[in-house]
Amino acid sequence: MWLPLLALIIGILFGFLTDFQISDEYSSYLSIAVLAALDTLVGGIRAHLEKTFDDKVFITGFFTNIFLAASLAFLGVHLGVDLYLAAVFAFGVRLFHNIAIIRRIFLVKWTKKSDSTTKD
Amino acid sequence: MRVKGKHVMFSFVLLITGFLVSLSYQYTSHTNQQGPPLSDSQWQEEDELRNEVISEQQVNQKLTDSLREVQRQIKTVEDDISTSERLYLNLVEDIDQLRMVTGSVGVSGEGIHVKLDDAEYVPGEDNPNHYIVHEQHIQQIVDELLVAGAEAIAVNGHRIHQQSYIQCIGPVIEIDGETSFSPFEVTAIGDSETLDESLNLVGGVKDQLVNQNIDIRIEKRNEIILDPFFSEKG
Repeated sequence: MWLPLLALIIGILFGFLTDFQISDEYSSYLSIAVLAALDTLVGGIRAHLEKTFDDKVFITGFFTNIFLAASLAFLGVHLGVDLYLAAVFAFGVRLFHNIAIIRRIFLVKWTKKSDSTTKD
Repeated sequence: MRVKGKHVMFSFVLLITGFLVSLSYQYTSHTNQQGPPLSDSQWQEEDELRNEVISEQQVNQKLTDSLREVQRQIKTVEDDISTSERLYLNLVEDIDQLRMVTGSVGVSGEGIHVKLDDAEYVPGEDNPNHYIVHEQHIQQIVDELLVAGAEAIAVNGHRIHQQSYIQCIGPVIEIDGETSFSPFEVTAIGDSETLDESLNLVGGVKDQLVNQNIDIRIEKRNEIILDPFFSEKG
């Protein structure tokens, strides 16, 4: 369990230490990438809690989501349409949906636990 | 074994996620440091102001050019004026000189004074014409003086110029429409020494006039004043 945490810290450190500037036209790509990463992460947690977690699905989902979102934003920039908003919207909705499911699972777990404790 | 592979993958995903999140955070804080993003209207305004500045600069450039051009023209005009002023000064001096020669202005200086008078004694039976001063005598004197380099000549106060005439009208003579009587006084300005010698040459004007029974007196003077040709006569 310590390896993913260490990786997260290393990633954050890398992000702060690398000092490269992103020009304004690529800021939408970055926001989409962040959203995709968070979405996949939350989706993974949800799948883990539902006990349907598959690491292949998780990894491929992570990368294809980021790639797809970036290409969509790229297309949007070149077509003059803010297509990256669609990706932001989709990821946002899914993020909240997943978080809601996670919350319910935790809620169910907690109520079960309290029920069992009261029964005991 | 399976658990470890899953963990590695997890760590990889978390690494990328952390990287992206922190990068995004850093990017946002950077853009915040650069000040609030400008709205479209502000952009537009800035653009307009910049264009205004550029056009003003262009106008300034043009005005500077034209100013330089005008200054150049002024310099040329000033040069012209100074040249022509010098020219005018020279011309004025020339005119003064020429007026002195033509008799338009009064002149003064050293010179010679010649007085011609009729003979006092006339033998009874002789023609009195042989004993009075004639116009050709005066003409002779004037010619001699001019040849000798006189700068200005007057007869009885009448300035002689290029177109003067001396005419005999009976007992008197007329100089430029004014009659003169004996005695005649010829005054000339010039080198008095030269003029005197030219008149006193042996067999010269003086001798000829003396032979014609004319009373002639020549004297040098240090200061002679000749009136201009067109001066008012009292």
